[in-house]
Amino acid sequence: MIFNQSYTIVTPGELLADSGRGLNGTYTEDKKIFSKYFGNVIVNGDNISVVPISGIYVPQEGDDVIGRVAEVNDTYWVVDIDAPYFAKLSIMEANTRGRVEDISTLMDIDDILYARVYHVSQDKSLSLTFRGGRYGKLPPRMIVKINPVKTGRVIGKEGSMIKMIKEYTNCEILVGSNGVIWLNGDEAGMAAASSAIKLIDKEYYSQGLTEKVKNLLEYVRGKV
Amino acid sequence: MYEERFDKRRFDELRKIEAETGVVPNAAGSARFKIGNTEAIAAVYGPEEVKPRHLEHADKATIVCKYDMMPFSVPDRAKPGIDRRDMEISEVITSALNRAIFVEDLPKSMISVYVYVTQADAGTRCASLTAASMACADAGLPMRDLVAAVAVGKVGDSIVLDLTKEEEDYEGGTTDIPIAFLQSKGEIVLLQLDGNISREDLKKAIELGRKGAQEIYEIEKNALKRRFL
Repeated sequence: MIFNQSYTIVTPGELLADSGRGLNGTYTEDKKIFSKYFGNVIVNGDNISVVPISGIYVPQEGDDVIGRVAEVNDTYWVVDIDAPYFAKLSIMEANTRGRVEDISTLMDIDDILYARVYHVSQDKSLSLTFRGGRYGKLPPRMIVKINPVKTGRVIGKEGSMIKMIKEYTNCEILVGSNGVIWLNGDEAGMAAASSAIKLIDKEYYSQGLTEKVKNLLEYVRGKV
Repeated sequence: MYEERFDKRRFDELRKIEAETGVVPNAAGSARFKIGNTEAIAAVYGPEEVKPRHLEHADKATIVCKYDMMPFSVPDRAKPGIDRRDMEISEVITSALNRAIFVEDLPKSMISVYVYVTQADAGTRCASLTAASMACADAGLPMRDLVAAVAVGKVGDSIVLDLTKEEEDYEGGTTDIPIAFLQSKGEIVLLQLDGNISREDLKKAIELGRKGAQEIYEIEKNALKRRFL
Protein backbone atom coordinates (compact mmCIF):
# COMPACT_ATOMS: atom_id res chain seq x y z
CA MET A 1 0.00 0.00 0.00
CA ILE A 2 1.29 3.47 -0.88
CA PHE A 3 0.60 6.10 1.77
CA ASN A 4 1.40 9.29 -0.13
CA GLN A 5 0.02 10.93 -3.24
CA SER A 6 2.20 12.49 -5.89
CA TYR A 7 3.72 15.89 -5.05
CA THR A 8 3.30 15.68 -1.29
CA ILE A 9 6.38 16.84 0.58
CA VAL A 10 8.14 14.26 2.72
CA THR A 11 11.12 14.39 5.07
CA PRO A 12 13.91 11.79 5.24
CA GLY A 13 12.87 8.61 7.03
CA GLU A 14 9.19 9.03 6.33
CA LEU A 15 7.39 5.78 5.54
CA LEU A 16 6.15 5.89 1.95
CA ALA A 17 4.79 2.43 1.27
CA ASP A 18 4.84 -1.15 2.54
CA SER A 19 4.59 -2.66 -0.93
CA GLY A 20 5.50 -1.65 -4.44
CA ARG A 21 8.87 -0.67 -5.82
CA GLY A 22 11.10 2.05 -4.45
CA LEU A 23 13.12 3.89 -7.09
CA ASN A 24 15.39 6.95 -6.89
CA GLY A 25 15.40 8.80 -3.61
CA THR A 26 14.06 5.94 -1.52
CA TYR A 27 15.51 3.08 0.47
CA THR A 28 14.03 -0.19 1.63
CA GLU A 29 14.24 -1.80 5.05
CA ASP A 30 12.20 -4.90 5.97
CA LYS A 31 10.26 -4.53 2.68
CA LYS A 32 9.10 -1.08 3.75
CA ILE A 33 9.94 1.89 1.56
CA PHE A 34 11.25 5.04 3.23
CA SER A 35 12.14 8.44 1.82
CA LYS A 36 15.82 9.27 1.54
CA TYR A 37 15.48 12.99 0.85
CA PHE A 38 13.53 16.02 1.88
CA GLY A 39 11.51 16.34 -1.28
CA ASN A 40 8.46 15.61 -3.39
CA VAL A 41 6.97 12.14 -3.79
CA ILE A 42 6.33 10.93 -7.34
CA VAL A 43 3.97 7.95 -7.57
CA ASN A 44 3.66 6.16 -10.89
CA GLY A 45 1.57 3.01 -10.57
CA ASP A 46 3.56 0.71 -8.30
CA ASN A 47 6.74 2.73 -8.59
CA ILE A 48 7.53 5.35 -6.03
CA SER A 49 10.36 7.87 -6.03
CA VAL A 50 11.38 11.07 -4.24
CA VAL A 51 12.81 14.17 -5.95
CA PRO A 52 14.82 16.31 -3.51
CA ILE A 53 13.79 19.95 -3.01
CA SER A 54 17.34 21.17 -2.54
CA GLY A 55 20.74 19.64 -2.91
CA ILE A 56 23.93 19.48 -4.85
CA TYR A 57 24.58 18.28 -8.33
CA VAL A 58 25.43 14.59 -8.49
CA PRO A 59 26.91 13.93 -11.93
CA GLN A 60 25.32 11.28 -14.12
CA GLU A 61 26.36 9.94 -17.46
CA GLY A 62 24.82 11.87 -20.33
CA ASP A 63 24.41 15.18 -18.51
CA ASP A 64 25.23 18.41 -20.31
CA VAL A 65 27.23 20.63 -17.98
CA ILE A 66 28.86 24.05 -18.00
CA GLY A 67 32.22 24.14 -16.27
CA ARG A 68 35.27 26.24 -15.68
CA VAL A 69 38.83 25.12 -16.36
CA ALA A 70 40.60 24.79 -13.03
CA GLU A 71 43.88 23.24 -14.08
CA VAL A 72 45.76 22.59 -17.32
CA ASN A 73 47.92 19.51 -17.67
CA ASP A 74 49.96 18.09 -20.55
CA THR A 75 47.15 16.03 -22.05
CA TYR A 76 43.99 17.00 -20.21
CA TRP A 77 42.13 19.79 -18.47
CA VAL A 78 40.68 19.58 -14.97
CA VAL A 79 37.25 21.15 -14.97
CA ASP A 80 35.25 22.49 -12.05
CA ILE A 81 31.59 21.62 -12.68
CA ASP A 82 30.14 22.61 -9.27
CA ALA A 83 29.94 18.99 -8.14
CA PRO A 84 31.77 17.43 -5.17
CA TYR A 85 34.31 16.08 -7.66
CA PHE A 86 36.40 17.62 -10.41
CA ALA A 87 35.99 16.37 -13.97
CA LYS A 88 38.62 15.55 -16.55
CA LEU A 89 38.49 16.59 -20.19
CA SER A 90 41.10 14.74 -22.17
CA ILE A 91 42.65 16.24 -25.30
CA MET A 92 41.36 13.19 -27.18
CA GLU A 93 37.79 14.18 -26.35
CA ALA A 94 38.15 17.82 -27.39
CA ASN A 95 37.62 18.54 -31.06
CA THR A 96 41.12 19.24 -32.20
CA ARG A 97 42.86 18.48 -35.42
CA GLY A 98 46.50 17.59 -35.51
CA ARG A 99 49.09 17.70 -32.83
CA VAL A 100 49.07 20.46 -30.23
CA GLU A 101 52.27 21.39 -28.44
CA ASP A 102 50.71 23.38 -25.59
CA ILE A 103 47.07 22.72 -24.80
CA SER A 104 46.71 25.94 -22.83
CA THR A 105 46.57 27.71 -26.19
CA LEU A 106 43.23 25.99 -26.78
CA MET A 107 41.74 26.53 -23.33
CA ASP A 108 43.35 28.15 -20.35
CA ILE A 109 42.49 28.42 -16.68
CA ASP A 110 39.13 30.15 -16.02
CA ASP A 111 37.78 29.52 -19.51
CA ILE A 112 34.14 28.45 -19.62
CA LEU A 113 33.14 25.33 -21.51
CA TYR A 114 30.06 23.33 -22.36
CA ALA A 115 30.53 19.57 -22.37
CA ARG A 116 28.88 16.24 -21.79
CA VAL A 117 29.61 13.84 -18.94
CA TYR A 118 30.32 10.61 -20.80
CA HIS A 119 31.63 8.43 -18.02
CA VAL A 120 31.25 8.27 -14.24
CA SER A 121 33.48 5.59 -12.79
CA GLN A 122 32.99 3.58 -9.62
CA ASP A 123 35.30 5.84 -7.63
CA LYS A 124 33.46 8.91 -8.93
CA SER A 125 36.08 10.16 -11.30
CA LEU A 126 34.36 12.02 -14.12
CA SER A 127 35.21 12.25 -17.79
CA LEU A 128 33.88 14.95 -20.10
CA THR A 129 33.67 15.01 -23.86
CA PHE A 130 33.16 17.57 -26.63
CA ARG A 131 31.95 14.95 -29.12
CA GLY A 132 28.48 15.65 -30.41
CA GLY A 133 28.50 18.97 -32.21
CA ARG A 134 26.94 21.43 -29.81
CA TYR A 135 29.72 21.36 -27.21
CA GLY A 136 32.83 23.47 -26.93
CA LYS A 137 34.48 26.47 -25.37
CA LEU A 138 32.12 29.35 -24.57
CA PRO A 139 32.98 33.03 -24.88
CA PRO A 140 32.96 34.78 -21.49
CA ARG A 141 29.46 36.16 -20.98
CA MET A 142 27.08 36.23 -18.05
CA ILE A 143 26.90 33.18 -15.76
CA VAL A 144 24.01 32.57 -13.37
CA LYS A 145 24.13 29.79 -10.82
CA ILE A 146 20.99 28.21 -9.40
CA ASN A 147 20.25 25.15 -7.34
CA PRO A 148 20.71 22.17 -9.71
CA VAL A 149 17.44 20.48 -8.73
CA LYS A 150 15.62 23.52 -10.12
CA THR A 151 17.01 23.39 -13.66
CA GLY A 152 13.96 21.39 -14.72
CA ARG A 153 11.75 24.30 -13.78
CA VAL A 154 13.91 26.81 -15.69
CA ILE A 155 13.50 24.72 -18.83
CA GLY A 156 9.82 24.05 -18.20
CA LYS A 157 7.49 21.59 -19.83
CA GLU A 158 8.92 20.81 -23.27
CA GLY A 159 11.13 23.87 -22.98
CA SER A 160 8.23 26.31 -22.60
CA MET A 161 9.79 28.45 -19.88
CA ILE A 162 13.21 28.82 -21.46
CA LYS A 163 11.60 29.53 -24.83
CA MET A 164 9.58 32.34 -23.29
CA ILE A 165 12.65 33.91 -21.64
CA LYS A 166 14.59 33.69 -24.90
CA GLU A 167 11.74 35.30 -26.83
CA TYR A 168 11.34 38.25 -24.48
CA THR A 169 15.03 38.99 -23.90
CA ASN A 170 16.62 38.03 -27.23
CA CYS A 171 19.24 36.05 -25.37
CA GLU A 172 21.02 32.86 -26.15
CA ILE A 173 20.69 30.64 -23.07
CA LEU A 174 22.46 27.40 -22.21
CA VAL A 175 21.33 25.48 -19.15
CA GLY A 176 23.73 22.98 -17.63
CA SER A 177 22.39 20.10 -15.56
CA ASN A 178 24.74 21.26 -12.81
CA GLY A 179 22.76 24.47 -12.28
CA VAL A 180 25.11 26.76 -14.17
CA ILE A 181 23.36 28.88 -16.79
CA TRP A 182 25.22 30.78 -19.49
CA LEU A 183 23.59 33.84 -21.08
CA ASN A 184 24.57 35.65 -24.24
CA GLY A 185 22.85 38.76 -25.54
CA ASP A 186 22.95 42.52 -25.08
CA GLU A 187 23.33 43.85 -21.55
CA ALA A 188 19.70 44.74 -20.84
CA GLY A 189 18.56 41.38 -22.16
CA MET A 190 21.02 39.44 -20.03
CA ALA A 191 20.04 41.41 -16.94
CA ALA A 192 16.35 40.70 -17.57
CA ALA A 193 16.95 37.02 -18.23
CA SER A 194 19.07 36.63 -15.11
CA SER A 195 16.45 38.28 -12.92
CA ALA A 196 13.82 35.97 -14.41
CA ILE A 197 16.01 32.95 -13.64
CA LYS A 198 16.61 34.17 -10.11
CA LEU A 199 12.87 34.52 -9.62
CA ILE A 200 12.42 30.89 -10.68
CA ASP A 201 15.20 29.86 -8.29
CA LYS A 202 13.48 31.67 -5.43
CA GLU A 203 9.87 30.66 -6.03
CA TYR A 204 10.14 27.44 -7.95
CA TYR A 205 7.71 25.55 -5.75
CA SER A 206 4.90 28.11 -6.05
CA GLN A 207 1.87 27.74 -8.27
CA GLY A 208 1.48 29.84 -11.40
CA LEU A 209 5.18 30.51 -11.78
CA THR A 210 4.94 30.95 -15.53
CA GLU A 211 2.55 33.88 -15.03
CA LYS A 212 4.90 35.55 -12.57
CA VAL A 213 7.87 35.22 -14.90
CA LYS A 214 5.76 36.54 -17.75
CA ASN A 215 4.75 39.59 -15.70
CA LEU A 216 8.38 40.26 -14.91
CA LEU A 217 9.41 39.95 -18.53
CA GLU A 218 6.58 42.18 -19.83
CA TYR A 219 8.62 45.19 -18.65
CA VAL A 220 11.40 44.50 -21.08
CA ARG A 221 9.24 43.80 -24.12
CA GLY A 222 10.44 45.95 -26.99
CA LYS A 223 13.34 47.39 -24.99
CA VAL A 224 15.91 44.78 -25.91
CA MET B 1 12.60 14.56 47.41
CA TYR B 2 12.04 16.35 44.16
CA GLU B 3 8.27 16.49 43.81
CA GLU B 4 7.60 19.61 41.82
CA ARG B 5 9.85 20.94 39.10
CA PHE B 6 11.37 24.39 39.39
CA ASP B 7 9.49 25.64 36.34
CA LYS B 8 6.21 23.86 37.27
CA ARG B 9 6.33 21.49 34.31
CA ARG B 10 5.09 17.91 34.50
CA PHE B 11 7.85 15.33 34.78
CA ASP B 12 7.28 14.17 31.21
CA GLU B 13 6.78 17.58 29.66
CA LEU B 14 9.17 19.28 27.23
CA ARG B 15 10.03 22.94 27.33
CA LYS B 16 8.61 25.25 24.67
CA ILE B 17 10.13 24.48 21.28
CA GLU B 18 10.76 26.69 18.25
CA ALA B 19 12.25 25.35 15.05
CA GLU B 20 12.86 26.81 11.63
CA THR B 21 15.05 26.15 8.60
CA GLY B 22 16.81 28.33 6.05
CA VAL B 23 18.23 30.80 8.55
CA VAL B 24 21.72 31.04 7.00
CA PRO B 25 21.34 32.11 3.35
CA ASN B 26 24.90 31.26 2.26
CA ALA B 27 24.84 27.70 3.58
CA ALA B 28 23.56 24.71 1.61
CA GLY B 29 21.22 24.02 4.50
CA SER B 30 20.62 25.58 7.88
CA ALA B 31 18.34 25.38 10.88
CA ARG B 32 17.60 26.98 14.22
CA PHE B 33 16.31 24.92 17.11
CA LYS B 34 15.23 26.42 20.40
CA ILE B 35 14.05 24.47 23.41
CA GLY B 36 13.28 26.54 26.47
CA ASN B 37 16.22 28.90 26.88
CA THR B 38 18.63 26.72 24.90
CA GLU B 39 19.14 27.75 21.31
CA ALA B 40 21.38 26.31 18.61
CA ILE B 41 21.98 27.39 15.02
CA ALA B 42 23.37 24.87 12.55
CA ALA B 43 24.72 25.39 9.04
CA VAL B 44 25.73 22.69 6.58
CA TYR B 45 28.09 23.19 3.63
CA GLY B 46 28.84 20.68 0.93
CA PRO B 47 29.20 17.92 -0.16
CA GLU B 48 32.41 19.35 -1.55
CA GLU B 49 36.00 18.40 -2.21
CA VAL B 50 37.75 17.00 0.88
CA LYS B 51 40.24 19.35 2.47
CA PRO B 52 42.63 18.48 4.08
CA ARG B 53 43.15 15.58 1.72
CA HIS B 54 44.14 12.99 4.34
CA LEU B 55 40.58 12.95 5.74
CA GLU B 56 39.26 11.53 2.48
CA HIS B 57 37.63 8.09 2.43
CA ALA B 58 37.45 6.28 -0.89
CA ASP B 59 34.12 4.62 -0.03
CA LYS B 60 32.20 7.18 2.02
CA ALA B 61 31.74 10.84 2.78
CA THR B 62 33.67 12.58 5.54
CA ILE B 63 31.59 14.53 8.03
CA VAL B 64 33.40 17.34 9.82
CA CYS B 65 31.51 18.96 12.66
CA LYS B 66 32.34 22.01 14.69
CA TYR B 67 30.36 22.76 17.82
CA ASP B 68 31.02 25.99 19.65
CA MET B 69 29.40 28.01 22.42
CA MET B 70 29.11 31.72 21.78
CA PRO B 71 30.90 33.84 24.43
CA PHE B 72 27.60 35.36 25.55
CA SER B 73 25.66 32.08 25.71
CA VAL B 74 26.36 31.41 29.41
CA PRO B 75 26.34 33.67 32.52
CA ASP B 76 30.15 33.56 32.79
CA ARG B 77 31.79 34.42 29.48
CA ALA B 78 32.67 31.30 27.52
CA LYS B 79 36.14 31.55 26.02
CA PRO B 80 35.84 31.53 22.24
CA GLY B 81 37.38 28.64 20.39
CA ILE B 82 37.30 24.89 20.72
CA ASP B 83 37.99 23.52 24.19
CA ARG B 84 37.93 19.95 25.49
CA ARG B 85 34.15 19.88 25.92
CA ASP B 86 33.47 21.34 22.46
CA MET B 87 35.70 18.67 20.94
CA GLU B 88 33.80 15.90 22.68
CA ILE B 89 30.41 17.21 21.58
CA SER B 90 31.62 17.73 18.01
CA GLU B 91 32.70 14.10 18.05
CA VAL B 92 29.38 12.70 19.33
CA ILE B 93 27.42 14.81 16.83
CA THR B 94 29.65 13.53 14.01
CA SER B 95 29.15 9.90 14.99
CA ALA B 96 25.37 10.35 15.26
CA LEU B 97 25.20 12.04 11.85
CA ASN B 98 27.38 9.31 10.35
CA ARG B 99 24.56 6.88 11.06
CA ALA B 100 21.78 9.26 10.02
CA ILE B 101 23.29 10.24 6.66
CA PHE B 102 23.93 7.74 3.86
CA VAL B 103 27.66 8.51 3.80
CA GLU B 104 28.31 5.65 1.39
CA ASP B 105 26.26 7.48 -1.28
CA LEU B 106 28.75 10.34 -1.44
CA PRO B 107 32.24 8.84 -1.60
CA LYS B 108 35.29 11.12 -1.60
CA SER B 109 33.37 14.17 -0.47
CA MET B 110 33.18 16.27 2.67
CA ILE B 111 30.17 17.57 4.55
CA SER B 112 30.92 20.41 6.94
CA VAL B 113 28.52 20.99 9.81
CA TYR B 114 28.85 24.08 11.97
CA VAL B 115 26.77 24.37 15.12
CA TYR B 116 26.76 27.44 17.32
CA VAL B 117 24.99 27.68 20.66
CA THR B 118 23.67 31.19 21.17
CA GLN B 119 21.93 30.52 24.49
CA ALA B 120 22.70 27.70 26.87
CA ASP B 121 20.39 26.36 29.57
CA ALA B 122 21.28 22.63 29.65
CA GLY B 123 20.72 20.17 26.82
CA THR B 124 22.90 22.00 24.31
CA ARG B 125 24.26 18.84 22.71
CA CYS B 126 20.73 17.56 22.11
CA ALA B 127 19.58 20.88 20.66
CA SER B 128 22.72 21.05 18.52
CA LEU B 129 22.28 17.56 17.14
CA THR B 130 18.61 18.16 16.37
CA ALA B 131 19.45 21.44 14.59
CA ALA B 132 22.31 19.77 12.69
CA SER B 133 20.09 16.97 11.41
CA MET B 134 17.43 19.45 10.27
CA ALA B 135 20.12 21.46 8.47
CA CYS B 136 21.37 18.30 6.75
CA ALA B 137 17.87 17.48 5.53
CA ASP B 138 17.50 21.07 4.33
CA ALA B 139 20.77 20.74 2.42
CA GLY B 140 19.27 17.84 0.47
CA LEU B 141 21.59 15.14 1.78
CA PRO B 142 20.47 11.50 1.55
CA MET B 143 19.41 10.54 5.06
CA ARG B 144 18.10 7.50 6.85
CA ASP B 145 16.01 9.60 9.20
CA LEU B 146 15.97 12.89 11.06
CA VAL B 147 17.67 12.77 14.45
CA ALA B 148 15.55 13.75 17.44
CA ALA B 149 17.58 14.27 20.60
CA VAL B 150 16.44 15.02 24.12
CA ALA B 151 17.95 14.90 27.59
CA VAL B 152 16.37 12.80 30.31
CA GLY B 153 17.59 12.43 33.83
CA LYS B 154 17.07 11.57 37.42
CA VAL B 155 16.65 14.54 39.69
CA GLY B 156 16.48 13.45 43.33
CA ASP B 157 14.29 10.33 43.04
CA SER B 158 12.24 11.38 40.03
CA ILE B 159 12.88 10.60 36.39
CA VAL B 160 12.33 13.76 34.39
CA LEU B 161 12.36 14.80 30.76
CA ASP B 162 14.31 17.75 29.35
CA LEU B 163 16.35 19.08 32.25
CA THR B 164 17.15 22.73 32.80
CA LYS B 165 20.43 24.04 34.21
CA GLU B 166 18.70 24.60 37.55
CA GLU B 167 17.76 20.92 37.73
CA GLU B 168 21.22 19.78 36.65
CA ASP B 169 22.64 21.65 39.64
CA TYR B 170 20.03 20.26 42.11
CA GLU B 171 21.79 19.56 45.38
CA GLY B 172 19.96 16.22 45.92
CA GLY B 173 22.00 14.71 43.07
CA THR B 174 21.27 14.62 39.36
CA THR B 175 21.90 12.12 36.61
CA ASP B 176 21.96 13.60 33.12
CA ILE B 177 21.35 11.31 30.13
CA PRO B 178 21.29 12.84 26.65
CA ILE B 179 19.73 10.45 24.12
CA ALA B 180 19.24 10.76 20.38
CA PHE B 181 16.93 8.59 18.30
CA LEU B 182 16.32 7.78 14.68
CA GLN B 183 12.65 7.89 15.48
CA SER B 184 11.08 5.90 12.66
CA LYS B 185 13.64 3.09 13.15
CA GLY B 186 13.74 3.21 16.95
CA GLU B 187 17.53 3.30 16.78
CA ILE B 188 19.61 5.11 19.38
CA VAL B 189 22.48 7.09 17.88
CA LEU B 190 23.69 8.88 21.00
CA LEU B 191 23.54 7.93 24.64
CA GLN B 192 25.71 9.42 27.33
CA LEU B 193 25.35 9.18 31.06
CA ASP B 194 26.69 11.43 33.76
CA GLY B 195 25.91 10.36 37.34
CA ASN B 196 24.49 7.26 39.03
CA ILE B 197 21.36 5.37 38.00
CA SER B 198 20.01 1.83 38.46
CA ARG B 199 19.34 -0.48 35.53
CA GLU B 200 15.54 -0.27 35.92
CA ASP B 201 15.57 3.50 36.14
CA LEU B 202 17.74 3.76 33.02
CA LYS B 203 15.22 1.68 31.07
CA LYS B 204 12.41 3.91 32.28
CA ALA B 205 14.43 7.00 31.40
CA ILE B 206 15.07 5.76 27.84
CA GLU B 207 11.37 5.05 27.33
CA LEU B 208 10.54 8.54 28.59
CA GLY B 209 13.14 9.94 26.19
CA ARG B 210 11.61 8.05 23.30
CA LYS B 211 8.26 9.69 24.03
CA GLY B 212 9.81 13.15 24.19
CA ALA B 213 11.81 12.54 21.02
CA GLN B 214 8.61 11.66 19.15
CA GLU B 215 7.24 15.14 19.91
CA ILE B 216 10.48 16.75 18.78
CA TYR B 217 10.49 14.63 15.62
CA GLU B 218 7.02 15.90 14.67
CA ILE B 219 8.11 19.51 15.26
CA GLU B 220 11.22 18.98 13.09
CA LYS B 221 9.14 17.58 10.24
CA ASN B 222 6.68 20.48 10.43
CA ALA B 223 9.49 23.04 10.50
CA LEU B 224 11.01 21.59 7.34
CA LYS B 225 7.74 21.34 5.46
CA ARG B 226 6.36 24.70 6.54
CA ARG B 227 8.61 26.67 4.19
CA PHE B 228 7.23 24.91 1.14
CA LEU B 229 3.50 24.90 1.80
